[in-house]
Amino acid sequence: MLGLIIHRLVQLPIIVLVIYTLTLSLAWAIPGNPLENPEGRQPKPEVIEAMKRQYNLDSFPNFYWSYLASATGVKYFNDWRSGEIEAERERAAAEGQAPPRRYVFDFGPSLEYEDWTVNEIVRDSLPVSITLGAIAILIALGVGVLAGIVGAVKPNSMVDLGTLMVALIGISLPSFVIGTVLLLIFPVWLGIGDVGSSSGPMDMLLPAVTLSLPFAAYIARLTRMGMIDALATDYVRTARAKGVSERVVLLRHALKNAFLPVLSYLGPAAALAMTGSFIVERVFNVPGMGQHFVNGVQNKDLFLIIGVVLVFATMLVLFNLAVDVLYRWVDPRIG
Amino acid sequence: MLKILAPVILLVLVVAVTLVTDRPMPRADFAFVNRGDVNTLDLQKMSWMQDLRVARLLFQGLVANDVFTHDYAIIPAMAESWELSDDGLEYTFHIREDAKWSNGEPVKAGDFIYSWRRAILPDTAADYTKLFQLIEGASEYADWRQEQLDAYAQQDKSGLTDAQKRERAGALWDEAQAKFDEMVALQAVDDRTLWVKLELPTPYFLDLLAFAVFYPVYPPLVRQYESVDPETGFVQAKTGWTKPPDLVGNGPYILTSWRFKRDMRFEQNPHYWNSESLNLDTISIPSINDPNAAVLAYSSGVVDWVSDVTPAYRADMLVDKMRFYEENRAKYDELKAQGLDPFEIDRRLPDDPRKDIHAVTAFGTYWYNFNCLDTLPDGRVNPFADARVRRAFAMTVDKQSLVDDVQRLGNPVARTIIPKGSIGGYTSPEGLRCISDAKTEAERQEIIAEARQLLKDAGYASPSDVPTVEILFNKDGGHDLIAQVVQKNWQEYLGVSVRLAQKEIKVFRDDLKKQRYMVSRAGWYGDYGDPTTFLDVNRFDDGNNDRKYHNPKYEALLDQAAVELDPEKRMAMLSEAERITMDEDLPMIPLFHYMNVYLFDPDKLSGLNSHPRTEQNMYLIDILGDGKGSDKPLMMPPLLTTSAQSDIDPRGIESAILDRDELFALRTRPSETVPSKTSPAEEGGE
Repeated sequence: MLGLIIHRLVQLPIIVLVIYTLTLSLAWAIPGNPLENPEGRQPKPEVIEAMKRQYNLDSFPNFYWSYLASATGVKYFNDWRSGEIEAERERAAAEGQAPPRRYVFDFGPSLEYEDWTVNEIVRDSLPVSITLGAIAILIALGVGVLAGIVGAVKPNSMVDLGTLMVALIGISLPSFVIGTVLLLIFPVWLGIGDVGSSSGPMDMLLPAVTLSLPFAAYIARLTRMGMIDALATDYVRTARAKGVSERVVLLRHALKNAFLPVLSYLGPAAALAMTGSFIVERVFNVPGMGQHFVNGVQNKDLFLIIGVVLVFATMLVLFNLAVDVLYRWVDPRIG
Repeated sequence: MLKILAPVILLVLVVAVTLVTDRPMPRADFAFVNRGDVNTLDLQKMSWMQDLRVARLLFQGLVANDVFTHDYAIIPAMAESWELSDDGLEYTFHIREDAKWSNGEPVKAGDFIYSWRRAILPDTAADYTKLFQLIEGASEYADWRQEQLDAYAQQDKSGLTDAQKRERAGALWDEAQAKFDEMVALQAVDDRTLWVKLELPTPYFLDLLAFAVFYPVYPPLVRQYESVDPETGFVQAKTGWTKPPDLVGNGPYILTSWRFKRDMRFEQNPHYWNSESLNLDTISIPSINDPNAAVLAYSSGVVDWVSDVTPAYRADMLVDKMRFYEENRAKYDELKAQGLDPFEIDRRLPDDPRKDIHAVTAFGTYWYNFNCLDTLPDGRVNPFADARVRRAFAMTVDKQSLVDDVQRLGNPVARTIIPKGSIGGYTSPEGLRCISDAKTEAERQEIIAEARQLLKDAGYASPSDVPTVEILFNKDGGHDLIAQVVQKNWQEYLGVSVRLAQKEIKVFRDDLKKQRYMVSRAGWYGDYGDPTTFLDVNRFDDGNNDRKYHNPKYEALLDQAAVELDPEKRMAMLSEAERITMDEDLPMIPLFHYMNVYLFDPDKLSGLNSHPRTEQNMYLIDILGDGKGSDKPLMMPPLLTTSAQSDIDPRGIESAILDRDELFALRTRPSETVPSKTSPAEEGGE
């Protein structure tokens, strides 16, 4: 077990480095100048050139290495060793002000949102996305597993066909349709909840339901298949022959095995749900992280693109690791 | 079973932790949807309308505009009084004794100098640095600094240690600071007296000072975030000081929380000198970017004002309002005859949810650029280098149909880039007529024939000789619909072939800046109440002259006007300059003036004004009948004579539309042709 964790954690920086290199190369190739305002008054060309130098945007290798140094904490360490951080603190104290914030892992400033660093953007938006994603996965698990069991107990019955249909709708209908319909029904017609507000847990419910549907549908199908297989096994027949109650047979014997594929799906699903969905965020006005994948690219906001991609990649690796650990714990045969 | 439940327990824990740490805040006294998210609160760097609006809440300049007057009169703010020398060049401002920063420190004359220096320094790359070059010596200083930086960048620094480089860059900056005091005519006579000398007498200088880029930042705070780059010598400003709890302002409110793309929250500034005038304790700006969500948020009571209503169905909402006016026509006409502003008229009409939508003319113009270079950057010959070709194309755009069928908001058709009647004392030129100005079919044919003749005169015997014209525009914002109409017009009336080129906004901007286009869409909002706010964009060396238009006669007129002391003569020169561009040279085709569409309940809300400059000050807002503040609605002084007003009716477009039954009929058409603007980036510079 420990070996697995160490092995994966050693892999992590290598995977992230490869992703960093690929993302940066692609993002660098996007046409357009990230330093220019899309509209409005423009700075002089020489000022733009100087700004490019300031952000190392004038040369790919420079940018590649300098960003790597600040994002991995190497730059912070160097500044600390050279006494620059201490000097900054002293200057601030002399003025009676708090010193400027410094990050150990500095993802740089956002080029589009001038007042914000990528660290702050991730800090503000990631918790929102994690909460939303976690609620969505919980709903998906509850609904999906239940529907899967019901479908497996009586395959090809009306109930099974019904859940299959709902699952099909959940997978096929785009979330902006489901989201808009839910918005119309609950806040607008029934007056339940607010639109455009993201202040409390209740505001999270509708977007979470919307986000959960495709996951729920997939989990339902996985559970159904697993359960049908499991219910046909010898040990289930044995359990039934022993006179174990049907509830115990289903939940304790069959589900335990049927749940394994769901568990392995849960890792990437949770990472996907928790890093946000652009569409659900947009429809429900949720200030999550998903929008930055799209906006970052549209604005050619290099720092933001790389920042969110690195966060997502790291989360994906860690979630997969967590699932593998859980997997072994749930099913000791593996390993 | 426990093992299966493990992931569920884990997820529940995650949700519980985030919900406990993220407590909801009570609703603010007043909540509104801003035009878009705030880009920056760094005063000297800002240029967007939504940023400026928040800046006026958190900071205050030497003077302010009284937005409830028809000329946006200048009133004292941080300065309680000022004197102007006889030659119109030297201003002396006296800062009020109770002017305080939000941390209780006094506002000093030096704070203004520090802030203005930031805007003048090329290091800051301030969008509005040009406005500061009205100050004597500022332009020379910016050039000097640029040269100093260039020279420093050229130096061979390879053999130096980091510490040595840092020392050199520091010395460079010390020199630049000393040079500023020496070169630029700004002086803190004492802590409460600021002296400024201008390069030329500038009649609108006080109006500029009311503009947020001239407001002061708190130097001890901002200095913390500045550092000198050892490689380039640039003064770099790190971001971060604009956020709570660090931010220090001198305006009516303070920023208590700012969560990225989520919300901003404001409370009264306890040290504000005029806090008795404030009606609200708390203000919040939830970040709502989806046009439809903003309207729904208003209907479900989450916000009190939507400052930019953009969904496609807004035109239908305006039609409903017209119906409401029709139902109350007698009362409406009576109130209108009293010269009341449109918001006050609504307030006095019966209560009805249909009256919550308001369309007011804005201080801005939508136009099409012509590339005026002789050859395009790819070497092709540019037909639009010839003014006759530009005139021919400008005459054959059906502007009325753009307004009636595409925009559907009652936008006034534009014949000049400065909205007519928006600047007191300025007479707009006639402008070139276009086919939709024709009253009869014969006149229409005459205009078309004239345009075709112009093409012939320019050497195109047949329309097919004109190279394929390409219209460049950015995706979203409905620009495609406008381009399609223009394309059809030119194909039909001139017989030329026209291609549409739709690009992503960044690519569009890049192409525009490098003149990689023939015709492109553009727009502009005025920044201050003087014609130069529009006319400067056609100066050859202006950073916003994307057309590369150059006419020495035009430049000479603007230069003469700049030194003219007699306001009447000066306005006449500026009007002549605009005439050259709008009647003769046509570097651009003005299409229509922008509209602002608001959503608010006039019976509940007071403090918004309907002036075309549409500068809304949130510190004037009052929720009527809540027992806080004055609870008396603010209104524009009645306008009893209409003769002083020309085409743009400052009382709002609604009254103009009522008189036009044919437009009313058009408005009930299906709404699929209406553009929806998803972000302010697509519409205007501010």
